[in-house]
Amino acid sequence: MKKHELKSQQQKQETEQQAAQQASHTQAELEFASVEELLRHDARQNLVPPQVSDRLEQSLKDTPIPPPLPWWKRILGP
Amino acid sequence: MNTAVSDPLATEQHPELSALQTGHPDFADLYAEHSQAIYYLALRLLSDPHRAEDATHDVFLRAFRSYDRFRGDSSPRTWLYRIAINHCRNLQQSWNQRHLVTNADDAIWESTPSQADSPLRALESKELGQRIQKTLDALPDEYRLLLLLIADQELTYQQIAALTDQSPDAVRGKLHRARKAFAVHFQQFS
Repeated sequence: MKKHELKSQQQKQETEQQAAQQASHTQAELEFASVEELLRHDARQNLVPPQVSDRLEQSLKDTPIPPPLPWWKRILGP
Repeated sequence: MNTAVSDPLATEQHPELSALQTGHPDFADLYAEHSQAIYYLALRLLSDPHRAEDATHDVFLRAFRSYDRFRGDSSPRTWLYRIAINHCRNLQQSWNQRHLVTNADDAIWESTPSQADSPLRALESKELGQRIQKTLDALPDEYRLLLLLIADQELTYQQIAALTDQSPDAVRGKLHRARKAFAVHFQQFS
């Protein structure tokens, strides 16, 4: 009787372990319906580092603001 | 037709970007709204985060210098993409002179069973980005660019066609082959 109980307990543990392993595997696996979806996911993992805006700000400080174009150049192009 | 959808990566996720002090208030908004798209394009075209940072900086600096000449004929997004594509091409040319890259052949993908319509599966990990980069690197430059542009939900086929100097139909045809090529390589690099 005890032997039987031990065996069933062991089986239960094994089943639980397998289920847990399967669950963690499913959680980690991602599925993308298209290449675009995969790339959008990738883009969300690669945000612009904040130092880019700091560098840009510094560069813009050293860059004089170009004078506005006269109205006729705005219409006709430079 | 691709529907324009607002970019989930825009300003609200980057509050620090709106603090950019430029003297041109519109320009700070322009950076906040589009820098993520430009950075990601540069990252995957140049295959190097540091070079992508430099390129993003340079693209916006160029844009700032010619901001008054931007007449609104195209959307700000396509205008910035045009600057970015030209800039990355210039960098790649000088880079490729030193690191010759051979593009894989269309015939290989055509002879491989189609997987373009099957879902792409991958494990969430740090290596996923590397795998995507390897896959993109294995594609011809044109396919890589088209896939990166079509992944931007703000762009339409017409805008992509204008950016790549071809008809929307040509873009559709090439994208079909590009998706197939991507799927084949993505599988190989698993």
